[in-house]
Amino acid sequence: MPLSVSDPTWYPIASSEDLPFRHVYQGQLLGRELAVWRADDGNVNAWENRCLHRGVRLSIGINEGQELKCQYHGWRYANRSAGCTYIPAHPADAPARRIENRKYPVREAYGLIWSAANDDLPFTGFPGAEGGDWFALRPMPVNARPGDVVAGLAGLAPDDQPADVMQGLSVRLGNIVYFVQPVDADRAVIRGLLAGKPADPIATLRHYNEGLTKLRDRLEKAAARKPVPEKLSPIFEKVSADLASMPDIAIPRGATLPVVVKRKWQNADGVVSFELADRDGRHLPTFQPGAHIDLHLPNGLVRQYSLTNGPGDLMSYVIGVKQENASKGGSKVLVESVRAGDVMAISEPRNNFPLRRDAARTVLIAGGIGITPLLSMSRFLDQSRLPYELHYFTRSGESAAFSSELTALHGRVERHVGLARDAIRARVSQALGPYEFAHHVYICGPGAMLEMVQEVASGLGWPDEAVHFEYFQNDKIIDQSSAFDIELARSAMTLHVPAGKTILETMRDAGLTVPSSCEQGACGTCLTTVIEGEVDHQDVYLNKTEKASNSCMMTCVSRAKSGRLVLDI
Amino acid sequence: MTITLYDFELSGNCYKLRLMMNILNLAYEVVPVDFFPGREHKSDWFLRLNPFGQLPVLQDDGLTLSDSGAILAYLARKYDASGLWFPKDAAVTAEILRWHAIADDITATASAARLALGYDYDFDIDKTQKGAHRIFRIIDEHLWFGEKQGRDWLCSPAHPTTADIACFPYVMLSEEGGISRQDYPALRRWTDRVRRVPGFTVMSGIFPAGPAR
Ligand code: FES
Repeated sequence: MPLSVSDPTWYPIASSEDLPFRHVYQGQLLGRELAVWRADDGNVNAWENRCLHRGVRLSIGINEGQELKCQYHGWRYANRSAGCTYIPAHPADAPARRIENRKYPVREAYGLIWSAANDDLPFTGFPGAEGGDWFALRPMPVNARPGDVVAGLAGLAPDDQPADVMQGLSVRLGNIVYFVQPVDADRAVIRGLLAGKPADPIATLRHYNEGLTKLRDRLEKAAARKPVPEKLSPIFEKVSADLASMPDIAIPRGATLPVVVKRKWQNADGVVSFELADRDGRHLPTFQPGAHIDLHLPNGLVRQYSLTNGPGDLMSYVIGVKQENASKGGSKVLVESVRAGDVMAISEPRNNFPLRRDAARTVLIAGGIGITPLLSMSRFLDQSRLPYELHYFTRSGESAAFSSELTALHGRVERHVGLARDAIRARVSQALGPYEFAHHVYICGPGAMLEMVQEVASGLGWPDEAVHFEYFQNDKIIDQSSAFDIELARSAMTLHVPAGKTILETMRDAGLTVPSSCEQGACGTCLTTVIEGEVDHQDVYLNKTEKASNSCMMTCVSRAKSGRLVLDI
Repeated sequence: MTITLYDFELSGNCYKLRLMMNILNLAYEVVPVDFFPGREHKSDWFLRLNPFGQLPVLQDDGLTLSDSGAILAYLARKYDASGLWFPKDAAVTAEILRWHAIADDITATASAARLALGYDYDFDIDKTQKGAHRIFRIIDEHLWFGEKQGRDWLCSPAHPTTADIACFPYVMLSEEGGISRQDYPALRRWTDRVRRVPGFTVMSGIFPAGPAR
């Protein structure tokens, strides 16, 4: 039977021990080259062996434990999802989260790593595999046609005990099963499994290695006399445009995914944590350090929470929620009524707070619950062995969240407890120091603290581009004095927005149902596409580029500079 | 007294010495020799240093030394206070010298293929590539059984020796000679280990490895 590039059979492609931590194994199956690597969580990834950027082999990349980094240009891909998490020098310092490398199905069983060209067949092992204790022999690469290798192995059987040639290029010879990995039309690897662990493993391994070496030499001599078969040429279907294109700015379109609350626990005084996971145990979408998700609450509100996860840590998202006594609904509902086992809807992660990884020095400043995005950033910097300093200001020791996670970090982590306003200011100033080229600071915390740090930084000569912050609230005074018309393109309606009334309110008054949450231009829920007209942005959600593009706006606070706006509603 | 290395940046044999001196934390000066395209290693002034017309040449303490393997042994004996890189033990010395000879075989095959493909040298490409694969198969098997027995390096001591430095560069540069290392997983894992030796330094075509866990 000729080999086919779309053969869905599962074949072994490596031994378990070929994948030590922090190594990238180079493999091949049916003409397709694979980069195979074990992440620190034990998960095995089998990917197409090329970086999406320039096709450089990922098998010479760096396995950072949770991400694989391309040696040449520094593109990074996450464990499990193969999603690209970082593109150096990209305008937003962050790729759209949909850029994914091609993955192949993969399983680890019986001391071998198995893969297939596609997902058409479920993994079933081999007849009699279950319950057995299998011992992997040294693999033997052979420059010969896979079919000839199978015949050669079958020929090793004594006359009175003929070999049992099985499905998937495998041969059973007594207590050994040999699998032939079809590397290409003219190359194969013999992978043997011995039933039971031998008394003297080394002597046994040497014995079989010697036998297979002789067989290989015979097969290669015979192959040299035959015409060279044509190589398999897998078609590298382009990764779909949807997955591989880089949208200018990804704007969430309200798509949600269901997650189950796996765990809820009191993280610190006044902070409750939730662990959210896929209901079927699959991985969640790739995210970047600093990213947040929208969480849809039981009372219909939508609230934003930063992910605290480290790189490639996609089996669940962990968020921290501040327990506010006077809270009007948001976190109160979450803390009081949501229980482990509940199902909730979340958005895909979105990043308004991208982390630069080309900085000479990174300073992270957190106040209270603002630790959440900065914990994620610290974990990324930690994994990449990049230098950073994290300053965490809390009112009391008991209110410091994620303590054990912070203790596990290797960077400089300083906790500042119970300082007065002036003392915080002095400490921040000391931590920042005078600005130098390629230094960056990231701040997350209460509004007053954000402003104070920005002020201190600018006083020390830090330019705006080096000071990154994320608001969870819009403290600006909104100017509602303008009046203008809005044309709702999809609803075929023209409305007048008078001074003192928001676009959102005007639309609601006209009977339209439009989503909103914070109603202060901080969360992004009311984001709307603008087709025509000039927007007067007053939110803190969109970044400068997004605002300048004039292609979207927040209907809860933004107004028009032109007489008329055409909206995609 | 400064050490002077007559060096060509893209030569794996010169890189062996830069690597060793970096690991031993030695200061040295470099005299660039235009091996390609200038063929300066065959010029009169160079032949006076080394009549064999080969790089690298190293000068130290009034001595002029040639042959990368010999110089590795010299540097380790003279400057490695730990005595680990070229141990005095007779059996280990024999083992290391055996691998220095294998390093020369790698140069004659993998490096020759690279010179033929990238530097216009008139070598039989097919023959040199086949020769490299024959050697890589043996090294892979040696390293594979080594791992099984708890040995991470080419020789028996529990630490790297000059044998690992001598064999490393042209294994790493083999792709430039059209020699894939896909069939040699144990050899690939060993190159990760060499790249994690403290003091490791890179050359064009040889990348660093990420930190181990
Ligand atoms: S509702 Fe939050 S930004 Fe408009």
